[in-house]
Amino acid sequence: MTRRGIWIGLSLAAVTAVLLFVLAKGFGRDPHEVPFQLRGKPAPDFTLKRLDTGAPVKLSELKGKPIVLNFWASWCGPCKMEHPVVAMSARRFGQEFQFFGVVFEDTEENARVFAGAPDPSFPQLVDERSRMAVDYGVTGVPETYFIDAQGILRDKVAYPIDPRTMMEKLAALKQPAGPVSEVVR
Amino acid sequence: MTAWVLGLVLASYAPQQAGSALLDPPREARVQALGKQLRCPMCQGLSIADSSSSAARAQMDKVRELVAAGRSDREIRDYFTSRYGEWALLDPPASGMNLLVWLLPLLLLVGGGLAIARTMRRPVPVAPAATAGTEERTPPADDPYLEAVRAELRR
Repeated sequence: MTRRGIWIGLSLAAVTAVLLFVLAKGFGRDPHEVPFQLRGKPAPDFTLKRLDTGAPVKLSELKGKPIVLNFWASWCGPCKMEHPVVAMSARRFGQEFQFFGVVFEDTEENARVFAGAPDPSFPQLVDERSRMAVDYGVTGVPETYFIDAQGILRDKVAYPIDPRTMMEKLAALKQPAGPVSEVVR
Repeated sequence: MTAWVLGLVLASYAPQQAGSALLDPPREARVQALGKQLRCPMCQGLSIADSSSSAARAQMDKVRELVAAGRSDREIRDYFTSRYGEWALLDPPASGMNLLVWLLPLLLLVGGGLAIARTMRRPVPVAPAATAGTEERTPPADDPYLEAVRAELRR
């Protein structure tokens, strides 16, 4: 093979390798997946009122016990499916973790019907105009965020959480900060 | 029946809230321009300024709030990329991996152009004059087919 032929072959191989790399990067992930950029960063502070009593709840005053924040809405079908899982977890692990629901883009009246009866297992917070949801990078509902006892956002589940995933995330939340699950959709 | 179907359909949509109060025209123009650059998380390729979804409205409210607070365009874009990543930008910056996407077509275009230019400049090989091969292709004088053609022409 001539020197020119070798150069052409090498150039074609290099271009093909770069193209394959770009395609592998592109096709290897879900294009609709929104990255979770706040992992390992301090959870944005918030002050929201409770749906039942109207009393303010401030994140910075809750440190010391891990927190589970579940964003939901009464108009969201998957949230209805997920709610019993979060409620059961709140009843069972409420001594170790603080569970809060955050009402996303909904009326208080609808939210009360959804969460108030028959089982107000964990406090629901009202996020006026979804300001806090945007601070957390919420892309839709349901989404569940896990904040450790030091106020660091450790993980997020962007789909209806199932009991097994909830157990795994709660167990991870009790561990010292380190590599955490990449389950973000 | 109609009421039941309507109820079922409407129940699956978020109650619409109006956007926050508009700012003065120059600042509101900035809000809209920034909104056009940010991707709606609940839609397919729409900007938050063009989407009617509740999440897009909430993000436009945040843009308005940040503009009103005197934040620069860059700071506002940074606010969104720090939460949603570069995914939030409809026109991601040409840096890092993105640079490949910008540069690769250009490189291929330049490479292809150079290859075409080289081919065009190369002298066209002249067809070889009558050679031994041509002689070989000359049919022998007593070729029966050639004789048949000649006979046909003579008629």
